[in-house]
Amino acid sequence: MQDWRTYEPLLIPSIKDLHKIDVYEKNGGYQQLKKVLSDKEQTPEAVTNTVKNANLRGRGGAGFNAGLKWSFMPKPDGGPRYIAANGDESEPGTFKDRMIFEYNPHLFIEGALIAAYAMSIDAVYVYIRGEYRSWITMMQKAIDDAYAKGYIGKGIMGSKMNCEMYVHMGAGAYICGEESSLMESLEGKRGYPRVKPPFPAQKGLWGRPTTINNIETLANVPLIIKNGSEWFTSIGAKGHPGPVLYGISGHVNRPGVYEYPSGMLITELINDVCGGVRGGKKIKAVIPGGSSTPPLRGDSLDGVRMDADSLRDAGSMMGTAGMVILDEDTDMVDLVWRISHFYHHESCGQCTPCRDGTGWLEKTLLKIKNGEGEIRDLELLLDICFQMEGRTICALADAAAWPVRYSVARFRDEFEARCKKSIYAVA
Amino acid sequence: MEKFEFNKAERDHIEKIIARYPDSQSAVMPVLWMAQEKFGHVEPDVQKLVAKTLDLPEAHVYGVASFYTQYYKEKMGKYVLDVCTCLSCQVCGGYDMLHYIEEKLGIKAGETTEDGMFSIQSVECLGACGYAPMMQITNDIYVNHLDKAKVDKVIETLKQGKMPEFEPIPMRVAEKS
Amino acid sequence: MPEIFIDDQRFEFEGNPKVLQFVLDQGLELPFFCYHPSLSIPANCRQCFVEAGTPVFNRETNSYELDENGDRVIRWFPKLMTSCSLEATDGMVIKTHRSSEKVARGQKDTLEFILINHPLDCPICDQAGECPLQIQTYKYGPEGSRFEHKKVHKPKRVQLGPNVVLDAERCINCTRCVRFTDEISKSKQLSIVSRGDKNYPLTAPGTEFDDPYSLNTVDICPVGALTSTDFRFKARVWEMNQTPGIDMTGSKGTNIDLWVRNNLVMRITPRYNPDVNDHWMPDEARKDYRRINENRISRPSIKLDGEQVKTSWNNAMLTFNEETGKVKPSEILVIGSPHASVEDNYVLSKFFNRLGVSDVHFANDIEKGRGDDFLITDDRAPNANGCRFLGFTEHDPAALGKAVSASGVKMVVILGDDLIGRGAFPAEAVQGKFTVFMGTNNCDTSNAANLVVPITCSAEHAASYINEAGRIQRTIPAKETVYTSRRLNLEMSLGRLDHFATKFDNWESDDNKVDCIPAWEFLIRLVQETGGDLTYTSSREIMDEIASAIDTFSGVSFERMDDEYGIPLKKENQPQGKTV
Repeated sequence: MQDWRTYEPLLIPSIKDLHKIDVYEKNGGYQQLKKVLSDKEQTPEAVTNTVKNANLRGRGGAGFNAGLKWSFMPKPDGGPRYIAANGDESEPGTFKDRMIFEYNPHLFIEGALIAAYAMSIDAVYVYIRGEYRSWITMMQKAIDDAYAKGYIGKGIMGSKMNCEMYVHMGAGAYICGEESSLMESLEGKRGYPRVKPPFPAQKGLWGRPTTINNIETLANVPLIIKNGSEWFTSIGAKGHPGPVLYGISGHVNRPGVYEYPSGMLITELINDVCGGVRGGKKIKAVIPGGSSTPPLRGDSLDGVRMDADSLRDAGSMMGTAGMVILDEDTDMVDLVWRISHFYHHESCGQCTPCRDGTGWLEKTLLKIKNGEGEIRDLELLLDICFQMEGRTICALADAAAWPVRYSVARFRDEFEARCKKSIYAVA
Repeated sequence: MEKFEFNKAERDHIEKIIARYPDSQSAVMPVLWMAQEKFGHVEPDVQKLVAKTLDLPEAHVYGVASFYTQYYKEKMGKYVLDVCTCLSCQVCGGYDMLHYIEEKLGIKAGETTEDGMFSIQSVECLGACGYAPMMQITNDIYVNHLDKAKVDKVIETLKQGKMPEFEPIPMRVAEKS
Repeated sequence: MPEIFIDDQRFEFEGNPKVLQFVLDQGLELPFFCYHPSLSIPANCRQCFVEAGTPVFNRETNSYELDENGDRVIRWFPKLMTSCSLEATDGMVIKTHRSSEKVARGQKDTLEFILINHPLDCPICDQAGECPLQIQTYKYGPEGSRFEHKKVHKPKRVQLGPNVVLDAERCINCTRCVRFTDEISKSKQLSIVSRGDKNYPLTAPGTEFDDPYSLNTVDICPVGALTSTDFRFKARVWEMNQTPGIDMTGSKGTNIDLWVRNNLVMRITPRYNPDVNDHWMPDEARKDYRRINENRISRPSIKLDGEQVKTSWNNAMLTFNEETGKVKPSEILVIGSPHASVEDNYVLSKFFNRLGVSDVHFANDIEKGRGDDFLITDDRAPNANGCRFLGFTEHDPAALGKAVSASGVKMVVILGDDLIGRGAFPAEAVQGKFTVFMGTNNCDTSNAANLVVPITCSAEHAASYINEAGRIQRTIPAKETVYTSRRLNLEMSLGRLDHFATKFDNWESDDNKVDCIPAWEFLIRLVQETGGDLTYTSSREIMDEIASAIDTFSGVSFERMDDEYGIPLKKENQPQGKTV
């Protein structure tokens, strides 16, 4: 495996003004799109296979093989087909796609167009959370420039390919990062996740075949087309290869978004990349991939790497690689209460277990936080989590339950210390 | 009573928005945004205008507007200070900043100053976790790395009717050791 | 045929049914809230959980894989599945709460969640007694609550529109009401607003829920969140008898239930008929209970010195027979009614045929533009087709008015139709002509009549009506008259109180019983009075005679109507009505 110290960023390389289309072009931009459009061997199937073999796992959280997802699209029947590019980026701790919007929007656009070619797509809708208004402006500028240069629109680069690209601005709803909810939102409705089946590839946007990919996922596509799937699988962790934008926040000296190969040691990321924990303090916990991923104890980080397999073995998940580092002074009860508050606020309210469970979790955690809790409330919390997990249309209920379940399990002493002695306790 | 309508140029722009989608319902979010930009809120009468413009049931527009938190269903201050208090911002002093701003402006989160200049909201993660604590001003500029001095400066700038400058995301690379 | 195993019991199925509907169709129970057979499936309440699995099929051997016991290897879905949205597939194995602890726990858990923010105000809630949430909580819910916090508060007593009141705290967000206005009535007046546990259905600000079908949302609301402005707090469900009937306010033939307490109809709700009205009915038609309860003609009356004076049945019959004796058959104008039943009209026609009057007339009751493409019709009468199929001469009201005014007419007999009130002719038109009105409610026509005979209305007799599509359907007596008794009349339905209560538990009094008899019964009594031999003991018998006498009605009987949700009369048998 290549040493991370010598790794040169590919998604956000340090090239000045790369967000400008002429700079992007000068640095080999849109050549991969040209390649798939002009090279006879680069049939849509071949492109899909290349991406599939690269084992590009979705960077939005679920980690599903992107090429495999593309291959679920039915054969073109003449009707419209869509890509929804997911730039909702609302999971607390996640702030990486914004880097692409600001520093390398054309890489994403090129990737999206290659995906559009591979799946015979008519239009790409780039769904960006409303809070990112400044970056929506940047993205729109990049798209306008690409239209002007003939990379988007009718007869792309002189080929027969037609594809439109639009930005759709969210308006403050975490749930719209969930793919079916995102489609509902694009269709101008309340962001209620859809019941599956039918899956988006069969019946997506406006009832037509649709693929939803994360922004970072699509930005990886030109790299794969350029260098091949074998090159891609050689980067980083075997089961979860490729460059990853690590968004690292919390109690580290130099938080921010860093691009490194997947499979980085968490300790390396904290100590070497981010300059260690603020004030030289000990690590109490690390949330590895956004607020929904189970927090790991600071004393269990040895050898844990940022890839799906290693994190699964350690008892968590890769998620969005939005890592939150928490030092020894962190109040875990307070933290978990705030996470629960988030999910309570963001539950769309469609399914019973999530709508009412998230509120119950928050209220119970608030009670414990305020010193009113009893030991039995901890059992209740675990029970509520059990009653929510896997019982809803989308995974928000699971996302709300996991941080609570695993925090109570892994930091139980801290929770117990906050509970008052039950009035029913026998001495 | 204030009358809400779109002028010809705006209506033309709306037609262009609608053209991006297979149906006009899909344009409801962008048009609500347009309306909020123009009127500063999407109170019921504005929602009615959007419904009429897009030929949608009013209840549908109301349902959508009330689902998404960034649409202001009632009038807000000229500057809405959305202070992030979620996760990374929470552990990096987001609540301290929120309370400092509350104290400074003499209002609580969810309230608007009497002169109508400022509203404060405690909001969920804004996706700037590495630059915590931070806030967003009226659905627009992100102000990162807040401390008391920076809050003072920002509020001063806003009082003069200017928005703070856009802060580029810091480009990070590990310090080579 | 494809097969499915539900709790180890094998069933065969056709097509692509959803598991929940299939289970219900087998007469088995599965709890659910948001599912409704006529609406889209959101699968949001998460109550109809089942465990589901499919057999593992080996393509190479072209057979199901078997385990060491020779049973099929089942691949179980890892999560509990919502049966409402789960499509049945060949060989599928389903475990319900009857055979799976996991499912029973899932259903209990969902109910616990629903109840944490649901006010426990059943004692003052209109829905209590017919509340799916209440029933299912008793059957499948947790025994107590572990929720020790403040419930979410939402608006209460919101007058959504003229007919519907919302209590948002009771709402469990099943979205049935929103889907109804989106998919069935298409008014799209409701939306769920806000988000998460603050969700509830509402109209847009400043707008009213004035959908002409708004009260259907009250029917399908699985809790007491939506209640009827008109009915709320009037009666508890268990105090009422529920009797099937037919709507009398239009020609759609909407199937209804009449809810009766102490011989007053307290409310009317739609009754499922897949071929007529599905699960729905218009709001306006629900108000018809007032016609049944209020301003009824009770006891016969005759006009003396310009005033209606109550008289005895005996005197009424004597007067009628004397008056018919004074005129020639050609001087009697007999007017049937699209508002009266087939049986009443038939016996009216038969009675006057015996007297030598060959023609029976009727005026249609059409209000152009009233109808929609759904359940409201231009025709305001439930049985115009009944009159047509009996061969009556159809007039528009004005034309009938002319016929009444004709100088040759000395006697006018009107069956259950306020012709003067609805403007067919002015009261003066019948001046000097002996006018008999057989009707249910006091009205302009009864005021003008020389003899008024009170007859039973649709809620008091068993009788048939033919809707605009030629479908014959019948009513069942829902309330007693002075001459009928719920316990003695086998045609009447008995409610819980009739079966189980002592007489002190019951609300019954004689106050609300109307002194009236079916029109046919009055007519045959007239015959018997003069020694004639026209005899029927029930409307059932009359229908049997009609069925054998008139081609259009061949094969029709009350039993068949009951079994088959009414009978569409054969098109080829239908005569073209005579129109003037």
